[in-house]
Amino acid sequence: MPEIFIDGQRYEFEEGDDRGVLQFILDQGKEVPFFCYHPAMSAPANCRQCFVKAGTPVKDRETGEFELDENGERKIRWFPKMQTSCSLGMQDGMVVKTQESDEDVARAQKDTMELILINHPLDCPICDQAGECPLQIQTYKYGPEGSRFEVKKQHKPKRVELGPRVTLDAERCINCTRCVRFTDEISESHQLTIVQRGDKNYPIAAPGREFNDPYSLNTVDICPVGALTSTDFRFKARVWEMNQTPSIDITGGKGTNVDLWTRDNLIMRITPRFNGEVNDHWMPDAGREAYKRFNENRISRPAIKLDGDNQSKTSWNNAIETFAETLESHKPEDVLVIGSPHASVEENFALMKVFNLWGVNNFKFAPHIEEGAGDGFLITDDQAPNTSGVKLLGYEESNDLSSEVSDAEIVIMLSDELIDRGTLSKEDLKGKFSILLSTNECETAAVVDLVIPVTCIAEHAASYVNVEGRIQRSFPAKETKYKDRSLDLEMNQGRLDRFGTNFDNWVTEENKVDCVPAWEIMNQLADRMGLEVKFGQSREIMEEIAGSNPAFENVSYERMDNEMGINLNTSNKQEATA
Amino acid sequence: MEETYEFTKEDLEEIEGIKAKFPEVMPATLPTLWVAQRRFGHVEPPVQRLVAETLGLPESHVHGVATFYTQYYKERKGKYVLDVCTTTSCQLCGGYKMLHYLEDKLGIKAGETTEDGMFSIQSVECLGACGYAPMMQITNDVYVNNLTEEKLDKVIDSLKEGEMPEFESVGMPLLENINDK
Repeated sequence: MPEIFIDGQRYEFEEGDDRGVLQFILDQGKEVPFFCYHPAMSAPANCRQCFVKAGTPVKDRETGEFELDENGERKIRWFPKMQTSCSLGMQDGMVVKTQESDEDVARAQKDTMELILINHPLDCPICDQAGECPLQIQTYKYGPEGSRFEVKKQHKPKRVELGPRVTLDAERCINCTRCVRFTDEISESHQLTIVQRGDKNYPIAAPGREFNDPYSLNTVDICPVGALTSTDFRFKARVWEMNQTPSIDITGGKGTNVDLWTRDNLIMRITPRFNGEVNDHWMPDAGREAYKRFNENRISRPAIKLDGDNQSKTSWNNAIETFAETLESHKPEDVLVIGSPHASVEENFALMKVFNLWGVNNFKFAPHIEEGAGDGFLITDDQAPNTSGVKLLGYEESNDLSSEVSDAEIVIMLSDELIDRGTLSKEDLKGKFSILLSTNECETAAVVDLVIPVTCIAEHAASYVNVEGRIQRSFPAKETKYKDRSLDLEMNQGRLDRFGTNFDNWVTEENKVDCVPAWEIMNQLADRMGLEVKFGQSREIMEEIAGSNPAFENVSYERMDNEMGINLNTSNKQEATA
Repeated sequence: MEETYEFTKEDLEEIEGIKAKFPEVMPATLPTLWVAQRRFGHVEPPVQRLVAETLGLPESHVHGVATFYTQYYKERKGKYVLDVCTTTSCQLCGGYKMLHYLEDKLGIKAGETTEDGMFSIQSVECLGACGYAPMMQITNDVYVNNLTEEKLDKVIDSLKEGEMPEFESVGMPLLENINDK
């Protein structure tokens, strides 16, 4: 097997491995500073930061043997100049020295960084990137202590609205061209270019054109400095004030892996999380808007229609009591349960199990598909995150929900804005007793007889099956009224969460929504109605599903966490062949 | 109202010829921008767009290329663009003096265009004719060498008449001539 020596240590690599030396070094858990290189894109080697010394062993042409020096070591023919490791291919026997073992390399990297910093403004205290800025971090680690340049820095455009979602500060740009390569190679909209030259250059769209790529905000994530910033998130929060929780994008069927960034129980922003099987490093811009749904317009406390069409807030006891009394005054055949592709597997399962036990066998759901909305990349026709999951649980797909509703007397809906998205109309629900378990205020919630607030994906751990049949799960990121971050071991704590108290002025109690997970509501309902059901945490619900539904066989939270999601199609096929 | 630009049939034929020279379209950007600048006198954004459409390349790419080279005029210039060299050799031999003389004479600053649209003055970096400093180039074309105030007067007058000065060929000093001295 070909070998390569990095800082005196021997590593082996597969024949035909086309990784660059930099990627190989990073994959070994070692480090070389870099800015322009990105594992998903071509390596232009224009930041010159990843310099290493490299050489190949000298071979005797006639014998093919390695030539040895007087100490019996292989003679190395060093490349005459330092190499950018990102664009340097690996060769058998190659010897590489990084900044860790070679003074010259450390010096070269330091000098490169001094050049990069000549025109970079020192505005870290007001820069959004501070705290997660490769330039900042690597300057601390490998950079010079000061600058020898006393001349005035170049001034370039600031606060340029590149498009509806991205704002450019050209002075901070180090011209790594990651954003340009992103639009050329990944989103293929070719909307960005570097203009001008020398120290005056910066990226921008063609004159009169907007940078309105549906994936434009990914350029903000990959920008190694604070040049490209999200217009929406700009100046909203410092990175170190937030805590980061893994989750799934709920605005499409792709199941894009994301991180939710929380501060004071508000989701401040959503960024993509790497998953090579699903979304790589990227996510569509639309998915980032979802944070508003988690914070704003939330339903807090149940609401009930008492007089005519007016809803008023009520207690949990009253809500459950009304729920149970309504059911008890009807027969199970009169009940229609509408599952939701917008809700998780666990929620849909809990609903189905409880009502099934009571005798209901009318379980329907309406897929939320917008034909032609998808782009074959990360945006799908499917507007819901869990269409496959609802189907696998046994909910029957219905394309004419209003006729189903007209045959029922009680309609129980799980967080799905059916009227808002035009599947049902207000008239359809007239004369029925309608109950909605919902996360957000919406037209649907406004017309039903009983509204029960449930947790959204940002508040519970639950799993979702994407269009390709991959099951992935979320973690709770926001506390509800009944949760405590420091007691729930699934929840992350940011600095402010950890060191703050409820009496600090940065803790806002109102940011906690008065809602509970759907399965806990089902627990209470089952308890009140004398049904033998008791759901534990969502982790246990998934174990129960895995044990009872062959489509979910062997699925567990542990496996989902370790394998970054499980493809239900292939895992079952493998078992079938095995 | 934005002006619309179109290549003539001859231009398009020429562009086809340019494209045929390269295995890919991208390298045809530079010569096609020259065709456009020759036709329209500038490569303002609508012209860049025309070039992009004609070649089937992203507008942003053509824009990036056009802004990289100072020889492409990203805004309208006068009929004659006087590029006065102010880099080291010319600077030492009076490049700035020539530039300021021109500025005073035409009543405009470097980077500006006269009201009648005849002249633009630019202060440019080295044009590679250090041996004949100070010098200037007219509209990316003829070099005028060894500038003096009188020579500038004459050049401006003849340009006003519509006559480009002759290209002054200054031979290299031959080795035998040097040895003769």
